[in-house]
Amino acid sequence: MSEQMPESFEGGVPLSAPEAPIAPAIDESDLIVETRGLVKRYGKLTAVNDLSLSVPRGAIYGFVGPNGAGKTSTMRILTTLMLPTAGQAYVAGYEVTKQPRAVRRVIGYMPDYFGVYDDMKVWEYLDFFAACYEIPESSRPRMIADLLDLVDLSHRRDDMVDKLSRGMKQRLCLARTLVHDPQVLILDEPASGLDPRARVEIRELMVELARMGKTIFFSSHILADVAEICTHIGIVEAGRMVMQGSMESIRRQLSPHREAIVTLLDRLEDAKSALSGVQGVLAVTVLPDEGGRKRLRVTFDGEDALLSAMVQTLAAQGIPVLNFSEQAQDLESVFMKVTKGIVS
Amino acid sequence: MIEAEAFARRRGGWFKNPVILKELRGRMRGARAFAVLSVYLLLMVGFALLLYVLASASQDVFGFTSGGQIGRTLFTGIIGIQLFLVTFIAPAFTASAISGERERQTYDLLKTTLLPAHSLVIGKLLSALSYVFLLLIAAVPLQSIAFLFGGVTELEVVLAFVILSVTTITLGSTGLYFSAARTRTLSANVTTYSVTLLITVGLPMLIFILIALFSSLLGARQADIAVEVQVLLLYGLLALSATNPLVAAFLTQYWLLNKQSAFVFYETITSTTGIIQVPLISPWIVFSAVYLLIALILVIRTVRRVRRIEN
Ligand SMILES: Nc1ncnc2c1ncn2[C@@H]1O[C@H](COP(=O)(O)OP(=O)(O)OP(=O)(O)O)[C@@H](O)[C@H]1O
Ligand SMILES: [Mg+2]
Repeated sequence: MSEQMPESFEGGVPLSAPEAPIAPAIDESDLIVETRGLVKRYGKLTAVNDLSLSVPRGAIYGFVGPNGAGKTSTMRILTTLMLPTAGQAYVAGYEVTKQPRAVRRVIGYMPDYFGVYDDMKVWEYLDFFAACYEIPESSRPRMIADLLDLVDLSHRRDDMVDKLSRGMKQRLCLARTLVHDPQVLILDEPASGLDPRARVEIRELMVELARMGKTIFFSSHILADVAEICTHIGIVEAGRMVMQGSMESIRRQLSPHREAIVTLLDRLEDAKSALSGVQGVLAVTVLPDEGGRKRLRVTFDGEDALLSAMVQTLAAQGIPVLNFSEQAQDLESVFMKVTKGIVS
Repeated sequence: MIEAEAFARRRGGWFKNPVILKELRGRMRGARAFAVLSVYLLLMVGFALLLYVLASASQDVFGFTSGGQIGRTLFTGIIGIQLFLVTFIAPAFTASAISGERERQTYDLLKTTLLPAHSLVIGKLLSALSYVFLLLIAAVPLQSIAFLFGGVTELEVVLAFVILSVTTITLGSTGLYFSAARTRTLSANVTTYSVTLLITVGLPMLIFILIALFSSLLGARQADIAVEVQVLLLYGLLALSATNPLVAAFLTQYWLLNKQSAFVFYETITSTTGIIQVPLISPWIVFSAVYLLIALILVIRTVRRVRRIEN
């Protein structure tokens, strides 16, 4: 899954994208997944390098990084499949190397491959994993029906698993991670290799699951995919955490100031001095003309109210404004800025 | 919490093992399992007919009239071919058990569930063996045809079944062990068959050669050989039978016919220093004990292997 192109979201999503649709407030100090100084070496190669991760309960946490950044390695440690070389990892308070069984009980893991049996029906697949999670036989049929309903596969209940399309397999695998009602879902590139529609479906499912109270920790290389649904982001490169925090704090760190471009018919200097006088405006610079139009760049710090204050100031002085727009900085370019392209 | 969990598992028992259910469901789905069983039985019947024709022909030539002779030929022939088949089928069913999960990329999924390592291993072993046992049991009526001709006792049928079963269990465990130890099914198969051939063919041949060399060095006449050496050779033969189902079956039958015992008996040794009685255990007992112990060790090591978290 390395040559992934963001088919559906070219150009990335503007920073001013709508807020993540998670209503309940997240307590930033209640961490459900945490690593401290995590290190994983394969021989000479250091895949995970002193990585400290904090995922608050209830978050949709996007773990973003280029190929080979160490995302899968980190997830394999968190899912008790692999031992770290150094450092600690906790899930729901349990140390992964000391209490693997307790950790397995609270996590649902979806690797970056499907892992399906070719000789099984859809419902048998879920039934088998439910049995592996010691779910009593009597409660399985109801639970399987609910899960198939959730991932919209009820009509394929009796089909063989290997006859499903990629998107359906992915949804089935997502359903599999839910059979034991885990608190945390650890999803490795859940949207990779899917067509745009399937991708949207998976993302909607993730949002739905977060609404049901699950914490979602997932990886991706595509920041745009992540930005749309995440409450939290961790950007990792070459095994190191480059930046981590809530979407808000990430946005603020990445671009501390907002920018607006004002296009004028005339009276450039008047506009410049008027805008400089507005509380919160940091700088006003004159841009070169573009097709005979005069332009200013306003750097400011503040809420949307400030934008409207600026418009009002210009209007009050009768300055002929042609266009006034906030400069959208897309996350993808921010991502390129942050990750130095050490790994690719 | 812990107690409730343990209770749930105990109540579940082996037959609630999800792996067994899944494997049997998969194996018995469609016509394949029944086709294999039918072909197997047809082959066995064809082979038995062939033996019958050959046995009756030789009887005409040599003028034997004993039906018992035909019965015995049929019986040993069928047991022999079953032993041969089991040697190949049992490892084939288990060598892909765990490496197959790896290749289908479901191994990691299983490892992140609460399924204990021993449930996975025992589930895989039992479901594979149960199919081989189905084949063995399906052929029992065929063996019993020998009864019609006489010359074969019920005890022999039972002993033959024990030897076949033990062989199945141990070779199945060998396949399972290498399936866990190797990442690929192909490599697991190659290793399993190499080890199986080494033990069932290579080792007996080596020991036979050694014994033959030894005896020829000692001279021709048995009575000339020192008692100690004779006793040693006798126990060596018994030990050899513990490495190989065919040798065990052959020697068990030999002593059963000669000493009328399939358990404990005395063998008489004559030498220049006199006549002594050497106590012996029937080879099938030694064989079963050794093979089952090996199976147990292999299963325990497989469980450890599966339980281990990758480094
Ligand atoms: N089992 C392994 N043995 C040796 N090297 C490994 C192993 N697994 C991963 N690596 C290496 O460790 C580094 C990190 O790999 P990892 O799979 O964790 O990255 P990733 O962020 O998941 O990448 P991708 O986006 O391509 O999935 C890579 O350079 C990879 O080649
Ligand atoms: Mg990966």
